[in-house]
Parts: sequence; structure tokens; C-alpha cells
Amino acid sequence: MQGSQQLEEYLLAQLAAGERTATEQIYKQHYPVVTKWIMHNGGSEADAADVYQEAIVVLYEKSQDEAFRLSCKIGTYLFAISKHLWYKKANKRQQDPVSLPDDDRQEWAYEDDVNAHRERENYYAQLNAALEQIGEPCKSLLKAFYHEDKSMQEIASGFGYTNTDNAKTQKYKCLTRLRKIFHNVQVK
Amino acid sequence: MMTEHSMMEVAERYIAGSLSQDELNTLKDRLATDTSFANEFGECVNMLRGLQSGGAQKRFSNMLKDIAAQEAKPATKGRTITLRAFYVRTAGIAAGIAMLTSLTTYWAIQHSNKKIASQYSLLKRDLEKYQRSQNQLISNIKEQQTAPQAEVRYTGTGFALSNDGYLVTNYHVTAGADSVYIQNREGRYFKAYTVGYDQQADIAILKVEDKMFRFGKGEVPYTFAPNKRKLGTKVYTLGFPQDEIVYNEGYISAINGYQGDSSQYRLEISAYPGQSGAPIMDANGNILAMITGKEEESDGTTFAVSSKALARLVQSLPKDANLRLPKSNKLNHLSLEQQIEKLEYYTCSIKVYKK
Repeated sequence: MQGSQQLEEYLLAQLAAGERTATEQIYKQHYPVVTKWIMHNGGSEADAADVYQEAIVVLYEKSQDEAFRLSCKIGTYLFAISKHLWYKKANKRQQDPVSLPDDDRQEWAYEDDVNAHRERENYYAQLNAALEQIGEPCKSLLKAFYHEDKSMQEIASGFGYTNTDNAKTQKYKCLTRLRKIFHNVQVK
Repeated sequence: MMTEHSMMEVAERYIAGSLSQDELNTLKDRLATDTSFANEFGECVNMLRGLQSGGAQKRFSNMLKDIAAQEAKPATKGRTITLRAFYVRTAGIAAGIAMLTSLTTYWAIQHSNKKIASQYSLLKRDLEKYQRSQNQLISNIKEQQTAPQAEVRYTGTGFALSNDGYLVTNYHVTAGADSVYIQNREGRYFKAYTVGYDQQADIAILKVEDKMFRFGKGEVPYTFAPNKRKLGTKVYTLGFPQDEIVYNEGYISAINGYQGDSSQYRLEISAYPGQSGAPIMDANGNILAMITGKEEESDGTTFAVSSKALARLVQSLPKDANLRLPKSNKLNHLSLEQQIEKLEYYTCSIKVYKK
């Protein structure tokens, strides 16, 4: 028991770091249970895969908080979050609200996590909207740095700046502009 | 005085924890005394954190998608299928009648229904063949979402019998299938299974597995004609000879179908492979028939099994199927365009997979 808890903590730390092997292991381990449940409750296989992936993203977001420690097993958590997500998705899609089969109230305890996830997604969407409006070369530069995780050296040579400092200066200019646009997007 | 982008730089280093103790103290003093600076600085920090965590999350999501795709093997190839070519499949080897097209078929030979296997061409598209010949044309198409995990082999058309997922198509479309999916108006796939069929009449009734599946907002808007209509009746059809729904119109050219088959009509309407199973409607929103095949030598002669034969099959289903044909017609007062608009929800493309 002790061993399995250690393993879970290890896996989770790896997942938090975006490490592929551990993420893959978590993905595979709990996929059958979650997808079976969703398909049993009116979802297609594709729905199940979507929801399950989103649940893992919720777990990932949670794991970014240094103070985070999972109070239950990874599988339990993913299952509970998946249920939430599927419930919302199914209700959104159908004109008639769907009621899920009775489950332990206990499992609805992670509502906050799901809501926080929604807010975060919303925030990212606004940021991306601002990023789309900013124009070139800022858009590509910022995407290369933040989305693709390129170093400033790579960016400097990729975008044809004479040195890294010039690229950095450009990046700060871009960020300043982005902030203004982002501010407007948020006000809207 | 701090310029705007040096503020960004300080914010970035603040997040990274790379400010020196002196810099940190200066910053703290300023934050404590200058509220408008504190607000702006706060905004910068939040935005940068958002960019960083948003970027990291995006990379994580992409990796997950990659893992999911890898797990879903041996799939993937079927995702990029879309069809534009019209394939006329020939089935006339047994009968030895001269044919217009030189394409051979392995399908009709296996098929035991002799009635169909003559100069009668089945309007089912053979995707595999298409894929082989048109590979270079489909490489850039990736709009497919959530495609089932095998190559599409055949496609046909189907239409709803009830809003909760019963639908009808040709028997020859789904015969021998490993799995059958329908693709609705939004392009989403749903798995379906056969609940009953009549090989002689070439009809199969399917049901979508997903219990929450609905074709449209309300019950099926058309009714099924109880008797055969008169010669010359104008008809139209909607079907999927390509991935997009296609409209065609024509008329009843003979009351009986292929070789005098009284369960069919003979129609003058153009039909292409992929339109097997498409509904034949009259101007008042009644289903008169379902397209089953076309004559080899002509362009417009099409055969369709009548709604009567269809109703017979529905009645023969076990009671627990709980399927009743729609009784109220909501199309009869609508213009043709409005009828079509409604019908689109209740017509679907059918994808048949064989491993």
C-alpha cells in the first residue's frame, strides 16, 4: 500500500513536469474505466476520449500548485472529474437536461477544481484572442517563446535578430502591446 | 521612472526569482507607495504567468492528444478520407450484359441477391478503391473529427424513422459490415447496429447505439406514403454521393421497378454512388421510397423500394423495438427549400467498415 502511494506521488510529480512516460502510464491505466462509464451513460467513444483528456488536463493544472497533494488516488480523482465534465457536456448538448445516475455525493466534491479549470480556460482563451490580434512579428515571436518553449537564442536566429538582446527587447515591446490589447479584450 | 517594457522585464525576473536583493527591496518600496504602479505591475505579473502556464498547458494537451492518438492505433488512416469522385460500380458479371463502365467489383459477386446482380448498379461508394486511386488528392484534408478507427470502406445514405435513432438504409450498404457508423449533420459519428433487414427488398433498419442521440429537435417531420403514387409524380431526394449533402429531383417513370418488381418504383432522377438508401420525397413531405440502385446503361434511371415494403419491415420488428413510424407531417405546408432545410437533420451519411 505504501509502495503504491509512493508510485502515485512519483507519477504525479512527473506529470506535473510534463514528462511523457509517466503521463502515458497514467493515461493508459485509467482510460478503460472512465471511457466505459461515459459510453455507458450516453457518450460515444470520441466523447469519452475528449472528456478523459480534459480530466487529465485538470489534474495537470492542479499538480502545478506546489502545495497540491492529492487526497485520493489518481484514478478516483480522474473518474470524478470525468463525470463532472461529461455531465456538463451532455447537458449542454441536449435540449433536455440529462440527469446522471445517482452516485456518491462524495464524488461531486471536486466541483471547485472543475470550475477553476473553466475559469482558467477562459483566461487562456482571452490571452490567445489578444495574441491573435497583435500582428507580426509579435504573434510568432511570443508564440515561439511561450507556446513552443523556444529559447531566446533560437528565436533570435530564427527571426533574424542580430543578437539575443535585440530579440529580448523586441519581446518586451511585444509584451507591452499585448498587455494593452489583452486589457481591451477583457473589458469587452 | 520605469518605462513600460522595463516594467515587463522586471515582472518577468520577479516571477523567475532572479531579482537581486537590492532590486527586490526597491520594487517592494515602490509597490507599497505607488498604487497605480502596483496595479500595473500586478497586471504584468498576471499576464506573464498566464502566458507561461497557458503555454505549458498547451504543450501538455498536445502531448496528451499525441498519446491518445497513439493509443487509438491501428486507426488513423481513415481520418483523412473524403470523397469527391463518383464511382459507378458495376455488378453485371453474372448476367453477361454489356456494361458502360469497365470497373470490376468483388462485392457483387459475393452478394447472393441475384436480383440485384445484373445490370443493376448499386449506389454504394467503394472508398477503399477510391483511396487507392486518389491518394494524392486527399492528403491535405484533415477536417474529420473523431473518426472511427478503421478505414471507411463503403458509404451510403440513410434517413430517420424516429427521432431517437432508428433509421433505414439499403441492406446492401450494411451487409457484411464489421461496424456501421452514421455521420450526422454536424459531422459527428455515431455507431449504429442493425435491428432488422429484408434482403429481398434490400432494406435494413438500424439503430444508433447512443441513447441520447437525437436526429433533430422534434419528431421526424415526414410521413410514409401508405400506397404507391401515380405515374409522373414529381419527386426529390437528398443523399451523400460526396461528404456534403446533395439535392436532386425527378419523377416516377414507372410504377414497378427493376424487371417489373412491384415493391419498387422506377424513377427518372440522377443518382450517384453513395446515394443508396436516400429518401425519395414527394412535394408534400411524404416518403415515397428509398433509392436502391440504378440501371447500368442509363444515366437517370434509378430504382427505389417503396415505402410500403419499408412499413412492412417495420411492422415485422419485435415489439420491444418500440418503433412506430411518424404519423404527423410537418412539411406539407412548407416550401421546398424549407422542407429540405428540415430534412437535412433527418438524413445522414452511413459509413460501413470491414476489416
